[in-house]
Amino acid sequence: MIQHIDVHAVLQESVSGVYTDLVTRPTGRVVRECIERAMATDAGDGAIARIDFTRVGCIDYSCADEIVAKLLRSRPGVLVLMGISDGHREAIEPVLAGHRLAVLIERPDGTLEAVGAPDAAAALLEGLVTRRLAARTPGGTLTLA
Amino acid sequence: MTRLVEVPAQFDDRSFDQFASAFAEAAKDGERLLFDAHAAEWASPYGLVGLLAAGQAARGTGGRGGGSAERPLLTAPTHADVLTYWTRAGFFREAAELFEIHGKVPRVKAAEESDVLLPVTPVRAAEDVHAVVSNIQQRASAILASELGLDPKATMGFAMALSEACQNIVEHAGTGGWVAVQAYHWRRRLAKRVVVIAVADAGVGFRHSLEPTQSKRFGTRWGDAAALEAALIQGVSRFRDPGRGQGLAGIRRYLARWDGKIAIRSGTARIAIVPKWDDDVPLKDGLPAFPGAQVLIIIPEQGSTKP
Repeated sequence: MIQHIDVHAVLQESVSGVYTDLVTRPTGRVVRECIERAMATDAGDGAIARIDFTRVGCIDYSCADEIVAKLLRSRPGVLVLMGISDGHREAIEPVLAGHRLAVLIERPDGTLEAVGAPDAAAALLEGLVTRRLAARTPGGTLTLA
Repeated sequence: MTRLVEVPAQFDDRSFDQFASAFAEAAKDGERLLFDAHAAEWASPYGLVGLLAAGQAARGTGGRGGGSAERPLLTAPTHADVLTYWTRAGFFREAAELFEIHGKVPRVKAAEESDVLLPVTPVRAAEDVHAVVSNIQQRASAILASELGLDPKATMGFAMALSEACQNIVEHAGTGGWVAVQAYHWRRRLAKRVVVIAVADAGVGFRHSLEPTQSKRFGTRWGDAAALEAALIQGVSRFRDPGRGQGLAGIRRYLARWDGKIAIRSGTARIAIVPKWDDDVPLKDGLPAFPGAQVLIIIPEQGSTKP
């Protein structure tokens, strides 16, 4: 079972019921800790977690680092980000590249893309196929299995 | 005795060193200060937040024993248009807490519908950064896309840059500061419209913030200029966490894409990433000392930007 975490809901519950932006390190830290707790208590098999950024406004570099990069470093399973806008990517990609990390982004059509450091991105996609967590479509793209 | 600090008639980043020099000279013996802005003809957002930072510093150091409860004095501009603009820009709302103001300040609300995208706004905690980012996005979106010709997607990058610039205060200054954002037509230097972000505080400054982790690495070169170089060019942070130092690097990336400029003044030095259209110098040292850090970000209208 793939675990689903709604980041907007986490932000509203944990930090502010007013703001929709993921900005500042303290905010990022609180949101990450809530996500980590949700992951720890979830009944899923822990292999894949889908982190949904739909309805999240702006993400700054500090939050991209505090949430995405730190979750990737602390979590052994696979993280899949969804609801990612171009603006979100603008913060997430360089932060991950700086850490030599990569993350999967699930596009609206369900296909997967790895973003971040090129070497890490290639290894991530290869590992997904090897572990049979993703499958190739007839068009050659990857989707979660 | 009261010492006079003259506010330049045209008060912006170019005349700031003249102001800092007058401030450093007047503040050295701890007397009460009088900031004289009566002849001010124009002030950029950088000038306005810089003046507030000076007031903050004067309150902190005023009085012979240091930390006087006596507020510094400020004579308001006498020119009606200037006075109205400073009020609309939200300057006096913040200045009222810091200065004993002399002169008639009009009862005008801080701008809600104008080129003042964000009036002078205090930044003391992460919550303030949330409010700033939330407030700016809708208004900046229209200006950035329609007037500056930026891709509408650039708005989020703008909010990120603003957020990171403000967070420098929260994380490093050790005190509060101010931010202001304005769009205007920059006839004198660029003959284009620009959006300007100005952030200032009178906190500990970059050198003090980075000293515990960076001073040994720089050895005898260590000082305000080296600290600014370490922060802006090398992306180092006072925190040992490898993810730190992303903020200024992110601002640089954003500005490189939109041909923008960033300049940071701290202590006795000033560093800038200078685009082709500007004639600023990349690094200046030995400037008149001024507390804290003052950040200037300029994003020009897109299209040909002649040097």
